[in-house]
Amino acid sequence: MSRLRYFARRTAVTAVLIFLVASALFLFFRLMPGDYTSLLIQQGMDPQQIEALRRKWGLAAPLHVQYVRYIVNLLTADVGQSFRYGEPVWDLVAPRILNSFVLVAPAITATYIIGGLFGAIMGRRRGGYLEKSGIITVSAFHSIPDFFLGIILIAVFSSTLGIFPTSGMLSTPTSIMIQDQPYWRRFLLPEFWKHYALPFATVMLYFMQYPALIMRNSVVEVSDQEFLHYHRLKGLPESTLLRKIIRHASLPVVTLYPISLAASISGLVLIEIVFNWPGIGSLLVSSVLARDFPVIQFVFLVAAVWVILGNFLVDLLYGVLDPRVSVSGSDGE
Amino acid sequence: MAEPILEFDDVDIRYRTDGDDVRAVNGASFAIDEGDYFGLVGESGCGKSTIADSIVGGLDDNGEVVSGEIRFKGEQIQDYSESEFNENVRWKEVSVIPQSSMNSLDPVMKLSEQAVEMAKYHTDLSRPAALDRLRELFDVVGLSESRISDYPHQFSGGMQQRAIIAFALFLQPSLIIADEPTTALDVIMQDQIMDYINGLKDDWDVSMLLITHDISLVFENCDSMAVMHGGQIAETGTVDDVFDRPRHPYAILLQNAFPDVRFPDRELAVIDGHPPQLRDEVDFCTFADRCPWAEPACREGAPPATPVAGDDDHLAWCVRAGEMSELAANHLERSTESTSILEGGQ
Repeated sequence: MSRLRYFARRTAVTAVLIFLVASALFLFFRLMPGDYTSLLIQQGMDPQQIEALRRKWGLAAPLHVQYVRYIVNLLTADVGQSFRYGEPVWDLVAPRILNSFVLVAPAITATYIIGGLFGAIMGRRRGGYLEKSGIITVSAFHSIPDFFLGIILIAVFSSTLGIFPTSGMLSTPTSIMIQDQPYWRRFLLPEFWKHYALPFATVMLYFMQYPALIMRNSVVEVSDQEFLHYHRLKGLPESTLLRKIIRHASLPVVTLYPISLAASISGLVLIEIVFNWPGIGSLLVSSVLARDFPVIQFVFLVAAVWVILGNFLVDLLYGVLDPRVSVSGSDGE
Repeated sequence: MAEPILEFDDVDIRYRTDGDDVRAVNGASFAIDEGDYFGLVGESGCGKSTIADSIVGGLDDNGEVVSGEIRFKGEQIQDYSESEFNENVRWKEVSVIPQSSMNSLDPVMKLSEQAVEMAKYHTDLSRPAALDRLRELFDVVGLSESRISDYPHQFSGGMQQRAIIAFALFLQPSLIIADEPTTALDVIMQDQIMDYINGLKDDWDVSMLLITHDISLVFENCDSMAVMHGGQIAETGTVDDVFDRPRHPYAILLQNAFPDVRFPDRELAVIDGHPPQLRDEVDFCTFADRCPWAEPACREGAPPATPVAGDDDHLAWCVRAGEMSELAANHLERSTESTSILEGGQ
């Protein structure tokens, strides 16, 4: 009963948060000087035509009218049309999000799994050579800006060694060839994976620091806990102890994972640009520069909802990983 | 007399550090007889818990038994590997009531699951059988049987301590190591817990190593004892022997440092100075710097085990053990007008 109330309350809070974010997004981008038509003026378009366009797109109406219209549209799942391309925002953004997701979600997930395990090993070998060199390595990769890391990888593996292509997701002939086939078809092509390797590696190397170092600290901390000593004295085998350590130590990493994932969905702009990956990042940058409000609003809203839902899921997951969380959460009612 | 269940024979234990090794235990010898309650008493950092850990292979990774023998039921266990400890010693034979019960129970596991886990690794008890056994033991230690499926944080400190005792009894071990079992509890709870621990003597066929800095707990609850300071055992023997005829200066002063209801006006002894840092080779008496009766010989070699009154089970590690009763009587008479407890045993 109280658990249900806890869940209901969290859901309500989540809904309110999404509403606030949507409102803030609306406001922020309209606070920027100019709108999409200012670009058209530069291109020498007739002022009357521009005025007609502004009216057509609803930019001439007072701000609060635009706002109400925007919220109502959102509630009816209508995210509008791009000013720039005249296409529905959804059609424009969805494939880009998919492309980004295909790169970022596996890369970040693999980073957290491998980085987490690596961190756990470092934590168990405290003071050893592996730990010392490991910390330096992951920190070094994170100290290089991500786009520069990408450029280095391109220089080494594409330009010099010629193992991987320099950019894109598929070569042009291939993408024309499979454009009518389902999206997953490309996963069967070796060419796709060749394009995939370098951006994937860049994401991994750059983000490895978070899970590895956090997990290491966490494992060191948990290993010193009395209850682990007690487990050991009870005669549990080392493999069982290790499983317990990882379960306890993974809490902070589990917290960070969805946040990192969510932030990356819209945030790996530079890596996408360096590798010319047809993801959401490059679309976002050009849309901001063009004041293409419907696109910007939608992309940011998707990112925000992703982060909020991610945190919501982490809260629920915490309840499973650590019973003290859910119990105190519901007792606090 | 019964056969010893646990023997320490001239055991040295060290912790490796980046600097000098810490020589935590030096030349420790004592024996616990089957069915006996044995008290190990000493100041903080004297090596009591290190001794406890060495019996169950619980030393930290940098700790090592470098010489001497630890025998459990006649088997040498000082060089056991983790899996040998798991197989032959831990929990089925020797269980532990740890120092900090409140932090010793895994916070994310129900107590019932922790018990089932113990059963899984050490017995072929089925899950329901393991739960039944836990219910039974909860009843023994005065916890409600309905609470076996609670998480540790739903228990108070005293209840957690009782659950820990139930866990220690779970596999009917032959030796229980209780490492400061009541330190974290208030006095009423301390009394209750010691009652339970004492009660085990009658109903369970178990020996106990009770580690504490409270010498009165040992006097009240144990059959025999050892007094420890600075990584060395000062004196060991039956509780009566050590209580009535202490022959090591530390044992004498420690006893006189506790108030005695029989002599309420007696001035309490003070042991001056600090426990020593055990960094270098320990080939001297570590109490010499604090001992009112120290002489050059005390610093020239490790103190020999000296039988008191010809009794090989009552040993004092002191070069002056033979003359100590006189020395102490004079010293304590000078410092206090009232009766010394030493006179009781003369």
